[in-house]
Amino acid sequence: MASQEDLYEEVVQTHGAALDRLARAYEADPDKCRDLLQDIHLAIWQSLEIFDGRCSLRTWIYRVGHNVAASHVAGDRRARSRQLLSIEDVDVADAKTDTEKSAERNIALDRLMALIRELKPSDRQLMLLFLEGVDAPGIGEVTGMSPGNVATRVHRIKNILRNRFQGGEKS
Amino acid sequence: MTNDSVSKICEFWQQGSHEPTRFNGEDLRSRMNKFERTIRRRNLREYVAAGLVIGVFAYYGWVFPTLLLRIGCGLLILGTAYVAYQLHRKASARPAPAEMGLRNCVQFQRSELERQRDALRAVWSWYLSPFLPGMSLFLFGLFQFTKNVTEAAGRPFNTGAAVAGLTLVAGCVGMVFVAIWLLNRRAANELQKQIDDLDRLAQDAD
Repeated sequence: MASQEDLYEEVVQTHGAALDRLARAYEADPDKCRDLLQDIHLAIWQSLEIFDGRCSLRTWIYRVGHNVAASHVAGDRRARSRQLLSIEDVDVADAKTDTEKSAERNIALDRLMALIRELKPSDRQLMLLFLEGVDAPGIGEVTGMSPGNVATRVHRIKNILRNRFQGGEKS
Repeated sequence: MTNDSVSKICEFWQQGSHEPTRFNGEDLRSRMNKFERTIRRRNLREYVAAGLVIGVFAYYGWVFPTLLLRIGCGLLILGTAYVAYQLHRKASARPAPAEMGLRNCVQFQRSELERQRDALRAVWSWYLSPFLPGMSLFLFGLFQFTKNVTEAAGRPFNTGAAVAGLTLVAGCVGMVFVAIWLLNRRAANELQKQIDDLDRLAQDAD
């Protein structure tokens, strides 16, 4: 069994970038985002002490990351009482951004990030996991959503992405 | 548009990051120390607030000459200590970060919401009712003390006016208690809706 240090190093190398994106998707303010990212890394570091391989390392760190981030949103929401959207309420038909050109691609990613930050934590988790390339059973394992709910929501997410962001192909 | 376009957006998303942020042991320890300092400061604030209330009623208990008032003050001190203990216990019941990987997001968020909902629903038993015996006895003792002092001075005691004053004070306190209870119940109902939403996410519709 790898040591806590080795596992943490593996997490940073394989999922560090995804954790950065996760923190940015939960917190827009750069200072608070840095604090959130540090909280996520701290919780992962502490949790690795009891990680026993009953699930994959990826599932484990996504669970810790999203649970820390969701608690951050819950605390923040109480302060700002901002109304968050369900994925079902997001407008599918919106101005499309062409992701083929690199300048526009960055704008598209910023818009995508802004959209994610408007979502309820459960939908935010699902959207982020989908964008990170986690498959439906993996999403279910991290989020705890039923297969039916994952399938319905992933379908909705694909529609939103297709209609709002053009990934190089012309429809 | 095909699934390829969606895959391409996912690819852009995954490429949109620089070198991953890395924290060394020192950074993480310093963050943990900061977190522990915040908890210690929060606890200290609670102890100081409880200490102030206890100090005020201890002073009253010492100054007021009647047994009823002294018992009332004693019960209020006990009630304050009990509420402070409950606040501390409930704030300490948060899950350890190490356990977050053991539960999926629905399970984790559900247990957090349940913990908060139960604390709000039970606000009457752990936050409001501990003050009632002491407060009732204190008010009644104050009524009796005023009556004794007035009569001892040879002045007529207006029972009707005194009862009206006592009722007014008790009514105001009662209204504050009911308002706190209603606000907490409403907040608990909001949390219950969020719990129901999570339950729906974890189950497939029939």
